[in-house]
Amino acid sequence: MSSSGRGSRKRTHNGGSVAGREPHVAADRIRRAIALVNSLADEAGDEELTPSEIAEAIRDCLELDEVDRVPNVRRYLGEALDAVSDGMPADFVAMTLYAALGALREGGAG
Amino acid sequence: MASAHRVHSLPGGARFVVEPMPERLSASAVLMFAGGSRLEDDRLAGVSHFIEHLYFKGTKTRPTSKEIADAIEGVGGFINASTDKELTAYWTRVPSEHMRLGLDVLFDLVANSRLDPADVERERGVILEELRMYQDQPQDYVQNLLEELIWPGHPLGRDIAGTEESVSRLTRDDILEYADAHYRLPNLVVGAAGSLDEAAMIDAVRTGLVLRAEPDGSLVAAAPAPLERPRVLVRRRETEQAHICIGARSLSYMHPDRYALDLLNTVLGEGMSSRLFLNIRERLGLAYDVHSFTQKHRDTGYLGIYIGVDPKKAVDAVNAAVSELRGLAETEVLPDELARAKEFTKGRLRLELETTNGVAFWLTYQELLLGEIKTIEEEVALVEAVTAGDVMRIARDVVSGPIQMSVIGPFGRDSAFRLAIGA
Repeated sequence: MSSSGRGSRKRTHNGGSVAGREPHVAADRIRRAIALVNSLADEAGDEELTPSEIAEAIRDCLELDEVDRVPNVRRYLGEALDAVSDGMPADFVAMTLYAALGALREGGAG
Repeated sequence: MASAHRVHSLPGGARFVVEPMPERLSASAVLMFAGGSRLEDDRLAGVSHFIEHLYFKGTKTRPTSKEIADAIEGVGGFINASTDKELTAYWTRVPSEHMRLGLDVLFDLVANSRLDPADVERERGVILEELRMYQDQPQDYVQNLLEELIWPGHPLGRDIAGTEESVSRLTRDDILEYADAHYRLPNLVVGAAGSLDEAAMIDAVRTGLVLRAEPDGSLVAAAPAPLERPRVLVRRRETEQAHICIGARSLSYMHPDRYALDLLNTVLGEGMSSRLFLNIRERLGLAYDVHSFTQKHRDTGYLGIYIGVDPKKAVDAVNAAVSELRGLAETEVLPDELARAKEFTKGRLRLELETTNGVAFWLTYQELLLGEIKTIEEEVALVEAVTAGDVMRIARDVVSGPIQMSVIGPFGRDSAFRLAIGA
């Protein structure tokens, strides 16, 4: 297991997750992935940006436990990752990431 | 104020509904036939609409469309027609002293049309262009696609104008046979409102309208089968905006809870004070156009939501819209929100009845489809009687059924949309 994976599993004294902090981490990571996808779509960002980096940004989101706390967030992220793997247009990937972000918001975690 | 309308039975089984409005300067008349595209099988899809077009091409006494238009427009009036899924209507609005002329032209259209073979071919081309034009209007076409999902394989799920295939194949004999079967007196309600002489109108209707009186046995509208699961239909178009319709089966216009459904629709998505507008457009900034609507038929209906949205925000907007609908099924609307919705509904009804045309349609529609006419006061009382619990009960009923969704936009796959509605 990577150190970043362990680092994301913060615990309280009674064993529950830290509420109110990690959801923002998830939202921030999804926003970062969206920004990458948008810059790829606009061809205005880093010239070195590749689909692999976008996939990596989405995997960073999937590593967080809190994406399981709100229904469908993990599934949207999985769809987005599949869309990158399948070479779908950047706008489609962005749409699926926005859906994940929106689901977090609807779940009160965005 | 009591409504002044009266209903007269006519020889042959037709009915005449009239409401004198002596303070007005105009009068309107409507000929409304039970029927419409719902009664057509796949082979005849679009024939009702085709007939409605052809009836304006010329009659035995006014052989060209120009002569028909001149007769009414020459006195400053309006004449038009519309085909719907369960009715076809021909109407005119004229200065009141020309009401007899208006009726005469309407009777001429429906009883004496020439249906010239050359006109049939010319109009076929016009209708095919109309069908193609409609497909180029995604904000309208997406609703047609939704109705394909709401009533799959049923005439209610088909475009009123038919399909390119059916319209291309319809023969003049098909058209004559269908018109003869459906344009009969027992299927007709004549409505009139405005400044008019009621006795003279009755005389004009009794003597001026010549149609067959025997009922035709073929007026059978099959009920749609129940929906089994949520479905998504995506039409890929490289549009700048995504056009989305979400819907679920709901109540018919015969159902006593239809007033609660209308209020649910108002709270959800009618106007700029609705929840969809305030939350999805104003608060979240997800969509430019978002609203809800209902469509009701004799034994079925649906509640729909339209969203025009940046393609990137499409699924997010769908989730937010569905969440608003589910919210109405989980928590009662607040008293002031329900009161606003009632005032909105009552106000729109009153505005609709400002014109003689509005009153004529209102009366005729009720008599033809409902078999009874409620006054505006009776309608308002039924709206007032709806409770917050009624609205929540209807919302629960709507969301308990499988949600359907149609999408037009630059989307190569439908997986994220299916996930949004559990399809």
